[in-house]
Amino acid sequence: MFGKRIDFAGALGFIAFMAALPLIFGGNYLIGVLTVSVIYGIWAVSWDFMSGLTGRENFGHSLFIGVGAYTAGFLNTTFGFSGWWSLPAAMVMAMVFALVIGVPTLRLKGPYFALAMLSGAVIMQRLMLIFWEQTGGEEGINGIEPLIRSQLGFYYFALAALVLVTALLLALARSHWGLILRAVRGDEATCQAAGINVTFYKIASLMISAAFAGAGGAIYAHYQLQVSPQLFAIVTSITIITMVYVGGMASIYGPVGGAILLVLLTELLRNFGEWRLMIYSCTLILILFFLPNGLIAPTWRRMKSMLAGRE
Amino acid sequence: MLEILIHGAVSSAIYAMLAVGFTLIFGVARILNLAHGSFYALGAYGAYFFTAQLKLPLLPAALLAIALVALFGVVVERVLVRPMRRSQLAVLMITLAVALVVEQVLFLTFGSEYRNVPAFVETKFTIGGVDVGGQRLLALGVSVTLIALLWIFIQRTRLGSAILAVSQDPEAANYMGIPSDRIFSIVMGLSAALAAAAGVLAGPFLTVQPTMWLLPIVKAFAIVIVGGLGSIPGSILAALMLGYAETIVGYLISTSWTEIVSVLATLLMLVFRPAGIFGKRAAF
Amino acid sequence: MSALLEVSGLNKHFGGLHAVRNVSFSIAPGEIVGILGPNGAGKTTLYNLLTGFIPPDSGSIVFKGRSLRGLAPYRIAGLGISRTFQLCRPFVGMTVFENVVVGGLGAHGSDRVDLDARALALLKQVGLLSKEQLQVEALSYGDQRRLEIARALAAKPALLLLDEPFAGLGSGEITDLSALIRSVHAEQGLTVMLIEHKLHEFMRLVGRVIALDFGEIIAEGAPEDIVRHPAVIEAYIGRGDEQAEEQTGAA
Repeated sequence: MFGKRIDFAGALGFIAFMAALPLIFGGNYLIGVLTVSVIYGIWAVSWDFMSGLTGRENFGHSLFIGVGAYTAGFLNTTFGFSGWWSLPAAMVMAMVFALVIGVPTLRLKGPYFALAMLSGAVIMQRLMLIFWEQTGGEEGINGIEPLIRSQLGFYYFALAALVLVTALLLALARSHWGLILRAVRGDEATCQAAGINVTFYKIASLMISAAFAGAGGAIYAHYQLQVSPQLFAIVTSITIITMVYVGGMASIYGPVGGAILLVLLTELLRNFGEWRLMIYSCTLILILFFLPNGLIAPTWRRMKSMLAGRE
Repeated sequence: MLEILIHGAVSSAIYAMLAVGFTLIFGVARILNLAHGSFYALGAYGAYFFTAQLKLPLLPAALLAIALVALFGVVVERVLVRPMRRSQLAVLMITLAVALVVEQVLFLTFGSEYRNVPAFVETKFTIGGVDVGGQRLLALGVSVTLIALLWIFIQRTRLGSAILAVSQDPEAANYMGIPSDRIFSIVMGLSAALAAAAGVLAGPFLTVQPTMWLLPIVKAFAIVIVGGLGSIPGSILAALMLGYAETIVGYLISTSWTEIVSVLATLLMLVFRPAGIFGKRAAF
Repeated sequence: MSALLEVSGLNKHFGGLHAVRNVSFSIAPGEIVGILGPNGAGKTTLYNLLTGFIPPDSGSIVFKGRSLRGLAPYRIAGLGISRTFQLCRPFVGMTVFENVVVGGLGAHGSDRVDLDARALALLKQVGLLSKEQLQVEALSYGDQRRLEIARALAAKPALLLLDEPFAGLGSGEITDLSALIRSVHAEQGLTVMLIEHKLHEFMRLVGRVIALDFGEIIAEGAPEDIVRHPAVIEAYIGRGDEQAEEQTGAA
């Protein structure tokens, strides 16, 4: 009860902060960085919902991102659909892919599921290169129309999308759905014995996770105005996983902070541009060793209990 | 036809070396080592570096590279993997992070252009009317020899028996006076050495660039899934199957499709027979 | 009254091992039936067959008039069969309360209403209400057993399968748990099947016993009769079971 009010206040504060930042500091560079960080936030939150709650870490999240991005790219450049159509289309395509790859792989134990998903992403990257005539190969698809012409306007749109997705997934995670996912993490067989259709929940959760990842991919496509096979790269998946670890697995809101923090951090180290991947990998190693529960979510929880203690 | 036979054999041999190392460390220590591909890459780059930059003759350069990579493998296991052993997923992530770090280091040091690893044998041979590079034949021969040596080592020596014991039950082996932890390190070193050797041998005729670690790991994973996790004979058989499947696809369709073969094989196997051909422990 | 559960000609092989041989029995509503048998007799395999975790080679399983063969475990549970496991398997990383709630989430439709309230009521009944916010890992083994029962009951089953509920418990805990099972059975009109080695409490709890050995039924009847049954005694003493002494002594 009290905790929920602090949560709500915190969320509002965060939104206000994020909305105000570009107004205070201005400059297209900052807005650009913030937009990218927000999109990563959407990807990180979508990953956390499925993999964080069920403990089935998905090493191929970039698959859904890429599918969403390429769908948007195709619909826009080849068929002339506006961005507002490509968003739902991207979500649907991502969900289809999730269904197709999820059915055979979700039966597998943790590490094997992770590697199977990784293989899926690698294969998509390959396919984009093999069918270069249709997909533009290394160059990818260029000349995508921006969703919103104004830089600031696009940022606010992306921010709104992040807030919406986070709120939705948070609600789902706090509901019985989330309870079931966490129980699946605990003991699948016992869940079955309790009458829960575990397969349905796993696949459905992967599809939900994929849908939002794809949405983020479509938003990204309409922001960068181009998509390339790099989106499917393992780098993308690892970056997102690092963000979730920093934010705090299974918290849903933590990964938002993780994403923004990491993107801002690496932008600050812009001069070390080529070292970015290194930074992410080393961060991951450090987090796994010293802060396996993450940074953001545990800090927030501690702040909450301190505040509650005062009352 | 003979071309396919020979080239398929060469591919299979390289894959077998990669897969055997991968399945070995899994079978013994339950570690799915995503940095395995990095050992392969480091082997190739090591050979390049020691010959091109340090001007060492080829054989010592190759051996030095393999030895250093083996050492690196042991260090990774000891420092990064062992504290994480409680969770297979954590090990997966750590080794993946290591792989990415290695890729970055290689990129920053050597750049992204393809590098030239010198071959042991430059001449081309003609067998039954088919042209085959001498290096490929060497790779085939050395791979077969090394795997055979490994097999004999495990079956016939005391250390080999210790390894088998640890792979069945590390705790029980400990009680019997076998230092499981040290065995893990040794096996990791062996596994890394095999991968590095594959890199040294295949480097001359396969691409050498910083991202070269990813596809081998995807294929090694495919092979051990098909052959059965932890089974060396399974890995060899599956390596043969994959090597030939890829070669045939390469000849009949196109080389760009060859990578798809391994991933498709993985997915199909996972769907229909997750324990693989010889596997005892299923993937779920 | 027609049988709640009707099993006929059930068989299961694991490779060369004939784990369950031609097992046939029926359970009437409201009974407490005990399954007795030495280790390896096929008791847990029987449970796994009944709950759909492994498919039988042949035979029929009919529950409330419906055949259970070929149904997925979650469907069977949804029809009204709940089970506990030999080793406690709570949902780790969740609280006691959450564990019970999940137990009831498998039930369909109207049974979902007031799940939270029912969870609390069940926790009260098993004596864990004061611990409902604790993480399950913090519970003692005896408390975890109680939690398992509360969780199994959350789905409002018609048939409850208990697999060695007394294993790992001290004698005081056993008496308490036994009383709990009896009260739950009486209050909710539950039908209970119980696998157990600890003969003493077992005998006082069950109304009828089915004795298994090497996968087949060797005797069936009232507890007092079963314990004196020559085949049952042979199954225990003839096998050199350490528990045989304790058990025939208790009879």
